[in-house]
Amino acid sequence: MKLRKIAPQVIDKLNKFTVSFAALLLLCAGLSQAHAAQPAIASIQDDNAQERPPALIDPNVERREIDESDIDTENFELGVFGGFMTIEDFESDAVVGATLAYHINEHFFLEAAYAETTAGQTSFEKLSGGAPFLTEEERDYRYYNLSLGFNINGETFLTDNLVFNSDFYLLMGAGSTEFGGDERFTVSVGAGYRLLLTDFWALRVDVKDHIFNSDIIGVEKDVHNLAFTLSTTFFF
Amino acid sequence: MKSTLNHIIIALVALAASYSPFASADDLVVTIVEPYIDFRTGPASEYPIFHVAEQGEKITVVKKKTGWYKAISIDGKEGWVSAEQLGKTLKPNGEVLYVPTGTFEDYGNRNFELSVFGGVLENVTSMTVATSWNWTGNLVAEATYTQALGDFSENKLWSVRLQHHTFPEWKLSPYLTIGAGQISTRPRSNLVQSGDEERKSDLYEVGGGLRYYIARNVTVKLEYRRIAALTDRDDQERLEEFRLGFAVFF
Repeated sequence: MKLRKIAPQVIDKLNKFTVSFAALLLLCAGLSQAHAAQPAIASIQDDNAQERPPALIDPNVERREIDESDIDTENFELGVFGGFMTIEDFESDAVVGATLAYHINEHFFLEAAYAETTAGQTSFEKLSGGAPFLTEEERDYRYYNLSLGFNINGETFLTDNLVFNSDFYLLMGAGSTEFGGDERFTVSVGAGYRLLLTDFWALRVDVKDHIFNSDIIGVEKDVHNLAFTLSTTFFF
Repeated sequence: MKSTLNHIIIALVALAASYSPFASADDLVVTIVEPYIDFRTGPASEYPIFHVAEQGEKITVVKKKTGWYKAISIDGKEGWVSAEQLGKTLKPNGEVLYVPTGTFEDYGNRNFELSVFGGVLENVTSMTVATSWNWTGNLVAEATYTQALGDFSENKLWSVRLQHHTFPEWKLSPYLTIGAGQISTRPRSNLVQSGDEERKSDLYEVGGGLRYYIARNVTVKLEYRRIAALTDRDDQERLEEFRLGFAVFF
């Protein structure tokens, strides 16, 4: 019942698109087929060949057997995200990045993420007015990670009739952070919420902590760098 | 004007989002032979059943998400059907529809596999991603990328390998690997004053592994490899790596 309430407009629009797209495809296919068939027609009907233009669409197309393998799969999820990231000792700044996920089954997914941000100054650098710890270039903060995600499936009821599938998920992974002139092995943990506006279009909110061992400010310690991001993703 | 824009946006979105737009040109229509098929509101077993399509009814299968299929019933209800239930329906020609559920038999027929590993390369935590192509069942071609970021240096390795599975029909199957690639090593910036001193050398590797099929489309792998890096110094550098990971197959 819930699906029925949301679906008609979307389906109507998609139908229109499918029809126009199918027509275009058919035309393209027809053109290429006519092109390929031309020599054969010419050799069989030598005399008529010049008078009759080649048929654009061959009416005798054989119906293809459709099988499970022909069905459109939507197991990959591609997304872009933006938000802000707090870098331990180095202020916080805007972060932008991209993700690519593969959904193994209804619960688990593998996700690769890449993002960039810029580190600010430590309090010490600001207050002492002394020499900076890092050059401008070394303040560029780039990271990537590969995470295993666990989906807790659910539904979100915005109103009585407006219902979307959604899930809360946990992420755990590892990767690398390039910051302060070095690349460091980084562990990432996080959680997020995915709201599926359609079967293939989702909005996500993520909170992720990126932990690595750093000695940039002199003492060696584990630093926590939190990213709060909003993203839009597409399944394909 | 607005509707044209809408159409363009929808067209772009659909193009970007549909992996193979050609598949939607024809639909798969199947007939239910079991007493009924459950329609759920979402692609997971937790979602509630909101409709039941009965024996003899025809349903149209539109798309697939993991082990779930979106289907439309004759009265226009759209819902998600499990692979298990869809695998008991008939195609228009009367044959039973084959639906892969990631069984061990499907594993034998796989084309590609994607693996992720965590391990130890000479006392440094390593991370590896690999993609492999099932060539003959016994022979598997693989490309791997490993990073091991240690306290003293950053190591990145890639290699192209050939795996030999002697008994691919065993659920727990041993295999041997041989490969070649490159390793690049960069010392930590606080250890070297001159900055970037990245060294690149060719490498050869031999090793072995164990693969175990767990369930659905997932396998677990344990691997060991010995690497000989051909450095431009007089001696070769020898490295060892142990790693444990899992793989999904397509």
